[in-house]
Amino acid sequence: MEIGLNHYLVLSTLLFAIGLIGVMRRKNLLLLFFATEILLNSVNIAFAAISHYYGDLTGQLFVFFVIAIAASEVAVGLGLLIVWHKRHGNIDLDHMSTMKG
Amino acid sequence: MLNHILSILIFFPALAAMLGFIIHKDSIRAYGVAIAAIEFSLSLWLWFSFDSSASGMQFMEHLPLVPAFGINYILGVDGISLFIIILASFFTMIGIASLTDTKNEKNMIVTLLFLQMTMAGVFAALDGIVFYIFWELSLVPMLYIIGAWGGPLRIYASVKFFLYTFAGSLVMLVGMLFVAYFYYQATGTWSFAILDWYRLILPESFQLWLFAAFFIGFAIKVPMFPFHTWLPYAHGQAPTIGSVILAAILLKMGTYAFIRFSLPMFPDASVFFMFPIAVLAIIMVIYTAMVAYAQEDVKQVVAYSSVSHMGIIILGTFALNVEGITGSIFLMIAHGVVSGALFLLVGVIYDRRHTKMMNEFGGLAHVMPRYATIFGLMLMASVGMPLTINFVGEFLSLLGFYKQSHILTLLAGTAIIVGAIYMLAAYKKMFFGEVTNEKNKNLPDVSKRELLALIPLSIITIWLGIYPKPILAPINNSVESIVQLMHDKSITNEAKTRIPNLVKGAEIAKTSEQGAH
Amino acid sequence: MELYLYLALFSPLVGSLFAGLFGASPRTKIAGVVPSLLLLLSFVSSTVLLIYILSGGEKVHVEMMTWMATGDLYIPFGFVVDQVSVTMMMVVTLVSTVVHFYSIGYMDHDKGFNRFFSYLSAFVFSMMILIMSDNFAGLFIGWEGVGLCSWLLIGFWYHKESATWAANEAFIMNRIADLGMLIGIFLVYWNTGSLQYDHVFATVGALDKEVLTWMGIFLFIGAMGKSAQFPLHTWLADAMEGPTPVSALIHAATMVTAGVYLVVRANPLYDLIPNVGLFIASLGAFVALFAASMALVNRDMKRIIAYSTLSQLGYMFVAAGLGAYWVALFHLMAHAFFKALLFLGAGNVMHAMHNELDPFKMGGLRKVMKGTFIMMTLASVALAGIYPFAGFFSKDLILEVGFVEHHYIIYTVLLFTAGLTAFYSFRLVALIFHGEERYKLFGIHPHEAYKFMLVAMSPLLLLAIIAGSFKMTYFEMVTAVLPATEYHVHSTIAYWIMTIGTQLFVILAIAFAYKKYANNKVKVPDGTSKMENRLCYKILSNQYYIPYIYEEYLVKPYRELSTVFWKQVDMKVVDATVDGIAGIIYAGGEKTRVMQSGNLSTMLKWMVAGTIGLLSFAVVFGLAVRYSGEIKTILSGLGV
Repeated sequence: MEIGLNHYLVLSTLLFAIGLIGVMRRKNLLLLFFATEILLNSVNIAFAAISHYYGDLTGQLFVFFVIAIAASEVAVGLGLLIVWHKRHGNIDLDHMSTMKG
Repeated sequence: MLNHILSILIFFPALAAMLGFIIHKDSIRAYGVAIAAIEFSLSLWLWFSFDSSASGMQFMEHLPLVPAFGINYILGVDGISLFIIILASFFTMIGIASLTDTKNEKNMIVTLLFLQMTMAGVFAALDGIVFYIFWELSLVPMLYIIGAWGGPLRIYASVKFFLYTFAGSLVMLVGMLFVAYFYYQATGTWSFAILDWYRLILPESFQLWLFAAFFIGFAIKVPMFPFHTWLPYAHGQAPTIGSVILAAILLKMGTYAFIRFSLPMFPDASVFFMFPIAVLAIIMVIYTAMVAYAQEDVKQVVAYSSVSHMGIIILGTFALNVEGITGSIFLMIAHGVVSGALFLLVGVIYDRRHTKMMNEFGGLAHVMPRYATIFGLMLMASVGMPLTINFVGEFLSLLGFYKQSHILTLLAGTAIIVGAIYMLAAYKKMFFGEVTNEKNKNLPDVSKRELLALIPLSIITIWLGIYPKPILAPINNSVESIVQLMHDKSITNEAKTRIPNLVKGAEIAKTSEQGAH
Repeated sequence: MELYLYLALFSPLVGSLFAGLFGASPRTKIAGVVPSLLLLLSFVSSTVLLIYILSGGEKVHVEMMTWMATGDLYIPFGFVVDQVSVTMMMVVTLVSTVVHFYSIGYMDHDKGFNRFFSYLSAFVFSMMILIMSDNFAGLFIGWEGVGLCSWLLIGFWYHKESATWAANEAFIMNRIADLGMLIGIFLVYWNTGSLQYDHVFATVGALDKEVLTWMGIFLFIGAMGKSAQFPLHTWLADAMEGPTPVSALIHAATMVTAGVYLVVRANPLYDLIPNVGLFIASLGAFVALFAASMALVNRDMKRIIAYSTLSQLGYMFVAAGLGAYWVALFHLMAHAFFKALLFLGAGNVMHAMHNELDPFKMGGLRKVMKGTFIMMTLASVALAGIYPFAGFFSKDLILEVGFVEHHYIIYTVLLFTAGLTAFYSFRLVALIFHGEERYKLFGIHPHEAYKFMLVAMSPLLLLAIIAGSFKMTYFEMVTAVLPATEYHVHSTIAYWIMTIGTQLFVILAIAFAYKKYANNKVKVPDGTSKMENRLCYKILSNQYYIPYIYEEYLVKPYRELSTVFWKQVDMKVVDATVDGIAGIIYAGGEKTRVMQSGNLSTMLKWMVAGTIGLLSFAVVFGLAVRYSGEIKTILSGLGV
């Protein structure tokens, strides 16, 4: 059986669903970052697969952008996370409610 | 300079307002009066150089803003808007000149000058978006005036005023966007220019919806029954100057917009909605007059009387003939003068006694004879005594609508009865009888500063009542062109017959042409 | 001649403004003398115009300037002096000159002296506009102007509650009628395209009968208000709260006759609609009797004269309604003289009696007030219509008109009313001047009025006596513009029987009045006598309970409805709806703010839910667009 575009897309969807559930369910900020990474990478897979399918490099170009942005996001995010941990001693989402309306 | 006089009229007070912040507190009043006087003389110059015999737009200015979407800064005046602009600058001037014990006088004067900008802008704008911007901007200074200098309920009143009118104008904005979109579909280019929109002929069903959208925005501003309840609060809480400008100019935006937008753009819808609107107008006239009669606060009497008079203006507008529309525009100016003066007069007594309750007064004619005389004059103007300014407008408005419906005019004509009832009753309570309240025994009569505002208004009231021609003639020319446009544009037979054709012999030419085919 | 026209018209205005200048300053004689002299000038100019017209001159027509012009509407300030308006001008300027000079004495001690003359001259100016205008709009200016001045003058003593109330009542009631007039004017404009009398009356002939009828009705409604015809009559009696010279000038001689003038002026219109004319005549006859009946028992000197005015206005409307316009105008003129005289006499009596108005508290005043006594008696004789006084020529003529036109019911009513008129007039004279000196019981020391006041009244006395002799001159003059129908009873015997019969009837009524009230047995009524407890007396003295009905069933409900509209409808329905909508939005915000818990994972859940919602909406919408054809078929299959 040849592995075609559909397989990649199914994989991407599954990963996206996992990431989405992770984003919604996780209470730990660090795990939330992991879930976000899964989300981003699921999209990357889809980009790369479609790019290959159409023979258009734009998609793969976008993957690089996404990787770059994800890296910088993680860098900034982790920095903030460490500061937060130093201040409050935990990284539990339920304790971060200063934006309560 | 004359080429850009409208821009100057709009932005000069705004610039002056910004400069006003650095003027010293003690000289701000003189500064304000001077600026307003320059503004007023500029507007008089505008009138002086205005060609009364021409019917179209004059002093047009054109500056592209967002050319891709046809949004341009277009200004221009015709006979319809000219006098309201003059009236606005006039009221700003006498308003600032007659300010009495106001805290934060500087802020007040700056706000008034800013308000003057928005008022000039609304009446001079010939582009939908520019019009909308000024229309909404005018809410801000008034919100501030009511909210900062108002009575005990000022926050409630100002928020109500703002949100109510703002909600209405959003619907109007949607309507404008749709008109521009239809224009795009019809011609392939975007345009928000009102004069372009005039040329657009829309199917009747579209007209009805768009008319309704514009109507909401305008009707709340006018304010028409049943959208009028913000007005008594706004007037009741606003300081004197706020009420004066609100009644004299801001309310006129709604009725002006009916004539500027609704009638020429949607002639068939105007005819379609004529009777429902006339019924609303009559309810406005009679119902609010009765409510005015029941009031205990003299300022509320004047506030409700404004609504009642606006009913006649609406009725004249929807007469859809030259007599009626000319009358309604004239009545806008007349009502501006008279209600402005009445609010100033209420302010005079409020400054002295810090109450507006009529049962606190009585017999004021003994202690303040000059005040009673001027109040009496304005009272008579308000009830539409001939040879005062109001009569010309009311007479023409009702005369115009009589062509459309006899019964409705008869009902609306009761305005002259119910108007007399509440006005005379209020006057009797305040001025006649013996002085019963000790506090009223030694009230000083009107001061020189107050006379400064009241005397010019009295002179205008009588002068334009006897000789309205300098104003009527330019209005008439512009209105004739609008009525003709409406007649030419209209699609339905109903509208063709309801809106008169002013070109004599045109019908004959058309039939003979058909005969030749 | 134009100069005289302008002089006649504008000198009262100048006088008014002059007196107005002194409005705030203390009483000065000059503020009264100058307007009076200016009115004399106006009177002289009117006389010049009268002589000019009498000597066969063309009518004077000027157009001063444009008032309103828009669309097809063109209204100038135009003035015309023709046979009709010059007659009115003479009446107005003459009576008002007399009243002005008289008022210098009458208002001598009043602190509003200057103000009074300002108002009074302004009234004359408005009245002159009313009668001299050449179009309906100008007429309306004057019409409203006299209403305004009447308001000012009735409420002249504004510290009195009753005076201000009466002033407002008069103004509002006139406004009701003015609405009718305004509608009439609109009808005229939209059907004839103009408001100029010349043009309108030249074109009315071509109009539809129905339109003409409505026009006539609405214009007459206007006339009903000014001339206080039933059911808009109550203000006239209440208007007696004003100073007596005002009553003489406005509420007897001039303003209240404006309605008659309007009908006379619009004679080409009313000629075309005899049905409306008949209605006017019937209403006039009814009012004549109705008002006279109320005068029979009234105990207020001025109100009695006011009801008499009302009654005489009824006579005028009978004549005008039956097409005898010149007769109506003639009676208007004669009536103005003797009624103004009567009122001024009453003013003298009031002065003498320290503002006492009840004739039962007077009696025997002829000894102290000889001049006034003679004048009022002669005026009453003229009012009763005894030969050879003015009333005989004008009032008997109206009776003849009714007879000749075969309206015998109207004739009978008018004849009976003539008797009543004589009775109540002389009841008043007898009570005031004859009998015992009852005023002594009340400690009043009456005195005669100033000499010059009596002198000022004398022209009216003269005219009340001799006005009848002008009948033929007048007839030849006005019939140049009015229909020249002569009213003669064909059979000579019938004529003599009628005339002598009427005279005898009237004289009997006078004798009865004297017998009943001129003796020493008259007592001040205290509500115990048998007559006062009769039902008909109560009905009459309460003016048929009409003011009561108006108060209970019109004024009060209006006031209550206004309060309901304000407190219940406006506050609790309209405004509450608006606040309710705002409240719903506000409450919605309060409810949904729990969504903003500040918890990141909750917010992320909402975000996901929102995304899914929007996506599914887009999908459903896209599908619906793609399969719109199928959906339509299915829906139509379901019968939607």
